[in-house]
Amino acid sequence: MPHSFKLPPLTLEQFTLGNGLRVVLDRDDAIPVVSLAVYYDVGSRNERDDRTGFAHLFEHMMFQGSENVPKAGHFQYIMKAGGTMNGTTSSERTNYFETLPANQLPLGLWLESDRMRSLAVTQENLDNQREAVKEEKRLRYDNQPYGQIFDLISAMIYKNFANAHSTIGSMDHLDAASVEDVQEFFRIYYAPNNAVLVLSGAFDPAEAKELIEKFFGDIPSQPRSPAIDVEEPEEVAANYSEWQDPLAPFPAFLIGWKTPKRGSEEFKALYLAGKVLYDGDSSRLYQKLVKGEESVIQLFGFTDERRGPSSIFVGAIPKPDEDISAIRETIMNEIRDLAVHGPTPSEMEKIENQLLNDAVRTRQSSLARTQQLAEFALYDNDPCLFNAELDGLLNVTAEQIRLNVAKFLNTENRALLDVVPAKQPA
Amino acid sequence: MNPDFRKQPPAPLAPIPFEILRPFETTLSNGLRVVIFENERLPLVSYRLSFFSGDIDESENEHGLMSAMALLLTEGTENYSSQQLAEKIERLGAGLSAHSSFDFTSISASSLSFYTSAIFEMLSEIVLKPTFPENEIDLYRRNLLENLKFQRSQPPFLAGEQAARLIYGKHPYSHVSLQPKDVEGITREKLRATHRAALIPNNAVMLIVGDVRRDEVIKELEQHLDGWESGEAPKRSFAEVPTRQQRSITVVDRPGSSQSNIVIANSGLDRLSPDFFPALVMNQVLGAGASSRVFMNLREEKGYTYGAYTRMDARSLAGDIEATAEVRNDVTGESISEFFKEFERIRSERVGSDELLDAQNFLTGVFPIRAETQEGLTTLLLNRELYGLPDDYLQTYREKVSAVTAEQVQDAAQKYIRPDEMAIVVVGDAESVVPQINKFAPTVEVFDTDGKLVESK
Repeated sequence: MPHSFKLPPLTLEQFTLGNGLRVVLDRDDAIPVVSLAVYYDVGSRNERDDRTGFAHLFEHMMFQGSENVPKAGHFQYIMKAGGTMNGTTSSERTNYFETLPANQLPLGLWLESDRMRSLAVTQENLDNQREAVKEEKRLRYDNQPYGQIFDLISAMIYKNFANAHSTIGSMDHLDAASVEDVQEFFRIYYAPNNAVLVLSGAFDPAEAKELIEKFFGDIPSQPRSPAIDVEEPEEVAANYSEWQDPLAPFPAFLIGWKTPKRGSEEFKALYLAGKVLYDGDSSRLYQKLVKGEESVIQLFGFTDERRGPSSIFVGAIPKPDEDISAIRETIMNEIRDLAVHGPTPSEMEKIENQLLNDAVRTRQSSLARTQQLAEFALYDNDPCLFNAELDGLLNVTAEQIRLNVAKFLNTENRALLDVVPAKQPA
Repeated sequence: MNPDFRKQPPAPLAPIPFEILRPFETTLSNGLRVVIFENERLPLVSYRLSFFSGDIDESENEHGLMSAMALLLTEGTENYSSQQLAEKIERLGAGLSAHSSFDFTSISASSLSFYTSAIFEMLSEIVLKPTFPENEIDLYRRNLLENLKFQRSQPPFLAGEQAARLIYGKHPYSHVSLQPKDVEGITREKLRATHRAALIPNNAVMLIVGDVRRDEVIKELEQHLDGWESGEAPKRSFAEVPTRQQRSITVVDRPGSSQSNIVIANSGLDRLSPDFFPALVMNQVLGAGASSRVFMNLREEKGYTYGAYTRMDARSLAGDIEATAEVRNDVTGESISEFFKEFERIRSERVGSDELLDAQNFLTGVFPIRAETQEGLTTLLLNRELYGLPDDYLQTYREKVSAVTAEQVQDAAQKYIRPDEMAIVVVGDAESVVPQINKFAPTVEVFDTDGKLVESK
């Protein structure tokens, strides 16, 4: 029975180098692989308002070579060693990670430390990656039906520019980026004291510590990066907007609400409310809209978890000729019901089992553990929160879910984005 | 601290061996082959019940029945309505789903190990007692019609549809999409007939990976699957994959598209071909990742695209090789040109020993990473079963990769990368794209996004 099952906590070691780099070691010898992650405390929220897209462009630059690693060498070294790797940029941070056969730990540390200390920022690299980023923007956003909706609704939820603008940025700002801008960005943000390094998997801790000190220890720290303000008023920035999408085959809509930050009691409760509302075939909205009223082709919902004010969304692609406002009415009715009665005992049991299932699954992947530990280390300065997270979620009561749905979702304080198929110009 | 240690990549530590043990195998009294891989690392179990019947086994004029049958298994059984099934599964924090592919139909499940009995009960329920309620079939058909329209707004689908048609001709691997008339043909009677014919224990394998005890598993399966009747495995006899004589260009016009989706393809090999390992290594060199030739050329050097790759799809009966990239409109012609340069190069120049070793080191090195999670391990074990690979396939995979020579790679390139007959498919703005690319082939066809031919030269 799940109630008596306890997932054993991870045994973590943590230390900070002289230059401020925070390190977390999570040893697990089950499979001879090791995952590394370096998380830098810079995301789109740190960007200047005339340099949107910079944090993400910079992420691309980080794969273009450093003092001892040739251009695109990072990809090649990792692949030759039998590893996988990637990097991502969000509003909150930029992360770089790789999973390698365990005996290639030194290679991973060498690559990450070399680019942290000596990234090769040249006009040629910048021009080349700028083009790749522009194609990425086209691929994921401009050339996809509904590709823009997440960025559009974020601008409706958040008033503060830091929170509201898109991570991919604008083509104009990307074009205006100079080599000097990129070098400055590197100096300010890509400093050891502005980062965390996490290792998960099969390694000898004493050997790992020695290697980490050797590769990272002599990288100089930098002055603290500029403070930013991500404060938001309670109100969303805009209640309604319509977007004409030339690529959308059907209309769609997205409703968004502003929520308190990740880790707060409120956010946890709303995250679980989302599971009840839209997660899975037994969820309330799936049963009501996809099955009961049979009025939508697709239903979706998700949270946007941030260190500051965050958000939660529900959206749908209605079937042709359906009354779209009636569909939205159904959604708000379900929210109202949840705000009055809260989740049922059956739904609470579902939540408990889903949370346990998620935690067990995460546990088996060194990469997943690495990434979650890095978040807790970077955002909260406390990777041990990883071990407390499951219980923290399991302790959320039906009443807390009800209260927070009532306060944050059952309200006119929300943003509605309507997507309308637009005809191509002749 | 001497910075010289940074000048070269550091030496690796001592390697730690990794082996996947052979699983336990048995056959139930009803003829079902059962494979069990016990692993107590975490209280998690993955289940796959796969049948050797797929979309290709449908009758020639009826498409969509196998996939409909699979998807509707969870929409109503003798003891559970669709909603009750969803609630029961999700209340356990578990997943249960079924789908069909070209060659197989699979039921997948995963759960915490506390719930293994319940999962077996629900598996047997959906396999033995689906009811295909009329209202669910009706909803499925209506949703499918809308989803078919939705598909046509997706450039990768449009490109894939044309490539499949051009490469596979009359072979059933060419069917990647349904027509509205196919949807209308999905009836309860046909679904039940499809179910009876396809979901038979003697043409299937059940794989269970994770925190289970084999004796208990066998006991539960015997009990829950008691009375499951055998049937006849489908006979597979299809038209040949066509032999192409020349290159062709096919454009799907998507006016206003800001990128061109390029797919360049020719037929390849089936999964059991003796050329598999040389072709695998060849494909790794040519386009299988971020340090491959086409990626380094089209993205890292030229900046044409976010990603350019080649993919080898080796199925049960046949296969294909496809090069893909999404590039900005005005470099569509140049991108195709660069692809053909890379095709010529891998055919005419024997790959150097460094590059060969790099490709092999990736494929062998990444092996434990593929098996790290239970789902990853399940996929590896399942593929061995589905394709009838040798018993020791997973235990000898790495040595087979390492044994491939440069000469074999070149032979594989000459056999499976055939620029003179490739199908070039581009989804994009025809007005700006056609003039850039009509030099690459003697014929050009233009289709609209509904799949209708608009123009042919």
